[in-house]
Amino acid sequence: MVSEKTKNFLSVINVFNKNSMTPTLIIVYAVMIILFASINPLYVSLANIKSIFANLTISGILAVGLTIVMLTGNFDLSIGSTLGVAAIICAKLYNIEGMDIPMAAIIIIAIVAGAAIGAVNGFLVAVVGINSIISTLGTLAVFRGFAYLFASETARIYYKPFISLGRGYLFGNIPNTMVYFIVLLVIMYLVLRFTKFGRDIYQVGANKDAARLAGVSIKKTTFMAFVICGMAAAIGGVVMASQLAFAQGEFGLGIEFKILTICVLGGISLAGGRGTLVGVIVATLILGSISNGLALSNVPIDWREAFQGIILITAILIDSIRVRRRQLLRV
Amino acid sequence: MQDLKTKRKGFKLTDTVILLLILIALVVFFSIANRQFIAYANISTMLKNMVLTGVLALGLTPLMIARGLDISFGSAISMISVIMALLYSKVGMNLWAVLIIGVVIAVVIGFINGLIIEKFDLLPIILTLGMMAILQALAMVFANTYAETYSILMLTDELYYFATRTIFGIPYPLIVFIVLVAVYWFILAKTKVGRTIYLVGANPAVAKLSGIKVKKVKILLYVFMGLSTGIASIIIVALTGVGMSYHGAKLPLPVLSAVLLGGISLMGGAGSVWGTVIGVLIVTIIFNGLSVLNIPSYYIQLFQGLALIIIVAAYEIRNKRAAIH
Repeated sequence: MVSEKTKNFLSVINVFNKNSMTPTLIIVYAVMIILFASINPLYVSLANIKSIFANLTISGILAVGLTIVMLTGNFDLSIGSTLGVAAIICAKLYNIEGMDIPMAAIIIIAIVAGAAIGAVNGFLVAVVGINSIISTLGTLAVFRGFAYLFASETARIYYKPFISLGRGYLFGNIPNTMVYFIVLLVIMYLVLRFTKFGRDIYQVGANKDAARLAGVSIKKTTFMAFVICGMAAAIGGVVMASQLAFAQGEFGLGIEFKILTICVLGGISLAGGRGTLVGVIVATLILGSISNGLALSNVPIDWREAFQGIILITAILIDSIRVRRRQLLRV
Repeated sequence: MQDLKTKRKGFKLTDTVILLLILIALVVFFSIANRQFIAYANISTMLKNMVLTGVLALGLTPLMIARGLDISFGSAISMISVIMALLYSKVGMNLWAVLIIGVVIAVVIGFINGLIIEKFDLLPIILTLGMMAILQALAMVFANTYAETYSILMLTDELYYFATRTIFGIPYPLIVFIVLVAVYWFILAKTKVGRTIYLVGANPAVAKLSGIKVKKVKILLYVFMGLSTGIASIIIVALTGVGMSYHGAKLPLPVLSAVLLGGISLMGGAGSVWGTVIGVLIVTIIFNGLSVLNIPSYYIQLFQGLALIIIVAAYEIRNKRAAIH
């Protein structure tokens, strides 16, 4: 059906082996930096770079979590609400009169809360079988309500060590948050690449029936994926609360859109089963640097929002073209 | 990505009965909780909300039956209301011209959505998610650039009459809704076009082999969703008198809930207009009842989310059980 010539031509275009988006992304990133730097040299100043990296880690951490879920072919739209709940928990626990809860305990409680929300999501999707978009849309609303519920008034955090978690710099130049991000990345990368669980995740996303026939427990894998995503979102919430030193009910509102864009741009296929964290890393860099770059270039804030939408649409167009090309090449 | 084991069950008579019972229970509950609930003023407020949600839910119904989806309508309404208000109040254009332009823009947006989704075979939710962001941003851009504020007045006699006058005691907007319900019901349940839509949703491959131009049908359905969006924009401007860049922000959750409550399956091929109507009623009653009880809006969203999960879970469990037997 597809002529020999077309197939050759297409495989020539496909210079980057294994259909990887990453080299393209790196080029895009480099071009972007050059563009922004030429408009406003402040873009590449050390202070600005430090600020970019300190901020993009929250998106990055959430993106890692969402990647795990998307690889199984599902979505999690509730990560923003999970982030908010975790942040509020941190703030609230620091403000209880008369009780001095150790920092480690507070962080663990917040992460456990995230895991619990992830478990709810996982239960609804894996056990009950509701479409993940709908169920996480519902949990988004429910847990956002919880976040507002706990945040009766804005809770401030005055505990210095906690604040330095998010705002401190290692050796004066590397943001602490970057360290957490990298650690999480490495762990998740190793899990995805070298453990059975990681392979199961790819398998469930790629071909559910084959996975079941191969003995993979789809329910358990999907469930764990959502739990991991919830925990990642909670970690992001802790970091955000630490960086801003307070927490309110609106934290994380609307962030799921940005994280979704990062994942799709990073090559995680919407159909599941394809994509690696490497692409997600570069995509995080790109999206983290764009709003900063646009702000420094004096682009009005409304256009910046539109930009993210355009990026998302471009990303999914590219994703679908690659899917088409894959199918063509297979023929 | 459908499980081998589940079978989609559409909307059956027993479903209607259950939903009606839920509806009655809700009405009773809220009436007892607060007598204001059945006051005339409240009922007319409810009817207004219902019309807005209802028009959009009706537009979504055939689209979702055919496995399409559109969540960009909220932002589309925001943008169109802003554009209409600007054209009428700042540029001084004729009211009817403004309204027609608004509807045309809505239809064009629907067409673009449908075209891109079908031509490139994209997941509708993602594309319309991106569209939603772009349109929302454009709404804010237009409002801020040409009016320096997010809310632009658009007060006209004609729209005021439309919003407030009644005929035989029924407000005009409600008549619009009833007419639309009748039209949609007739087309979906009684005509070949309707059956085509169900087939396209239930089994696109078979539909294509039967000679149905699946892509064209779906694009057309997106266009009609655009039409609903346009009508809803006019209604919202008539009811509130302003064009705001936040008009549509809170709309997707209730509308989507209403459609899903009513039995439309995300997998397509199932559902009916009556289900959607009941879904709209339930969602409006929950929202309105909770407002009357003075519950803050974010809790209401919490309950709507909860209701969505519970009902969809119930459908899912019922489907699974049906498949096993």
